[in-house]
Amino acid sequence: MSDYVIETRGLTKTYGEQNSVSNLSIHVRKGRIYGLLGRNGAGKTTTMRMLLGLTAPSSGDVKIFGKPLRGNEKNILPRIGSLIESPGFYPNLTGMENLRIFADLRGLKSPKYIKDALEVVNLPYRDKKLFSQYSLGMKQRLAIALAVMHNPELLILDEPINGLDPIGIAEVRDFIRELCDTTGKTILISSHILSEISLLADDIGIIDHGVLLEEESLEELEAKNGKYFRFTVSSAALAANLLQSKLDIQNIQVDSANELTVRDHRLDAGAAVRLFVNAGLSVSDAHLYEDTLEDYFKQVTGGEGIA
Amino acid sequence: MLKLLRCEFAKLKRKPLFFAAAAISALIPLGCALFLPEMQEFSSGAEAVDRLMSSLFQLSAYLLLMPAVVVLASNLLFEEQDNDTLKNLMTVPVSKPALALAKMTLLFLFSALFMAVGGLVNLAIVLASGLEPVGFWKLFFVGIGQGIMMWAGALPCVLLVVLLNRSYIISVIITFFYTAVNYIFGTNDYFIMQPFGFNPGTLLPGPLTFRWFFQYLDISGAQMTDLTERISPYFVTTPQAFLVVILESAVFLTLIALVYKRQSC
Repeated sequence: MSDYVIETRGLTKTYGEQNSVSNLSIHVRKGRIYGLLGRNGAGKTTTMRMLLGLTAPSSGDVKIFGKPLRGNEKNILPRIGSLIESPGFYPNLTGMENLRIFADLRGLKSPKYIKDALEVVNLPYRDKKLFSQYSLGMKQRLAIALAVMHNPELLILDEPINGLDPIGIAEVRDFIRELCDTTGKTILISSHILSEISLLADDIGIIDHGVLLEEESLEELEAKNGKYFRFTVSSAALAANLLQSKLDIQNIQVDSANELTVRDHRLDAGAAVRLFVNAGLSVSDAHLYEDTLEDYFKQVTGGEGIA
Repeated sequence: MLKLLRCEFAKLKRKPLFFAAAAISALIPLGCALFLPEMQEFSSGAEAVDRLMSSLFQLSAYLLLMPAVVVLASNLLFEEQDNDTLKNLMTVPVSKPALALAKMTLLFLFSALFMAVGGLVNLAIVLASGLEPVGFWKLFFVGIGQGIMMWAGALPCVLLVVLLNRSYIISVIITFFYTAVNYIFGTNDYFIMQPFGFNPGTLLPGPLTFRWFFQYLDISGAQMTDLTERISPYFVTTPQAFLVVILESAVFLTLIALVYKRQSC
């Protein structure tokens, strides 16, 4: 049996001549937070809609909980909580009344489900405020409450922090992390905000123009980040020669008469500085540089549209 | 289905359009009683009941109920798209055809209730006039039956509204055109003097309803006697009338459900 809660194979959605999602194969592991990162219009929402059966794929398969979604919607969908695009509720009803409708449809008889769901998103239970009077942040919170109300095994959240203030963002982030860590829920979350994904996700998929460019764990991506040293010395050529001959260091680039860059992860900076000083060179600067995830994502996607 | 229907009722909370539509059921009976002299002087309770119920059958049902059903149908069917709630319902999951049928069932109940309220207002007027409401309950149930027939008769128009998807102005124009046509056909000899069968007089809701409810009225006057004599051979029985209603409802509900299913969320 597959270890993946969500598995897609060759998932494609075409609108007219344009591929919104192209040959997408993602793998979401049980009990992990999978961050789908991409710029606006990259195909994140279309992918999530296909995972929920809201949009029919042009080709490809979706498997959820090891079963094809198509034909098993009645068994699979009740096990999923979702938030897709903007929050949609009845404007003439309060938050509680809105949730009660969906609780009724899901067969959740006890008001505790509604109360608990509102509590986790910090919305009052018996509030008289109508949904039409809610702020964007409150609407988003209510949508998250709806997604978690029936205690689903899998959460599919499309840009869940949209419209939230910084404190709200931190609260939702902590809440999502806690859901995964304490209850073992699997969470697929999309965002165009890199920092959110890097703070939350265990696994990351980078999507651009409907194509999945990368799919790896956060650790694997971090390991890919480039590291290098830059030295400013009295003679860069001599310093390079010393590193090669005495420490067997490769990938040395002499940038100017006094500067050199070393891209060799075996280099011990302390040993290098000692070597330079002992050889009579003066060292005015030694610095370790590290590419951030952002640099990596920019490199992979072309660099625009990711906040 | 029951759950869906219960939720449809819950969604009506604080919806002024629905309550306004329900309130107009009392409008014509009250208007007739207050402003028409012939509706103020009755020789007997039976005559009062017949005349008042006749105004309910011929005016309220044709001119108010049918357009109200279509306007409410468009409001109910489009509210999920307008509020972006269809995606939430689909992921429960709720099937779109079942949702459409729940909404149509709500309108069915509304139609019956509309006529029941109109009938009860008439009863109140008769009682307030100090007359005995002779024969009221028979006509009360005829009124409910007519409400059901009007609901079924509105379904083709609802289908058209669903097909046009979101175009409220065109929907309203079609609704009032359809209402007017039904009212005219329902009083036109060509349509009401056709035998029961596969013809416009049987298939169109206006003439069919008229040929059914008119036999239950006992209205005096030379003009009415002449009309009754002319159309009595073409009266349809209750089983005949409801057979047509059931068949037409089945066809149009299926089509509405199928068209609604195709709409994106």
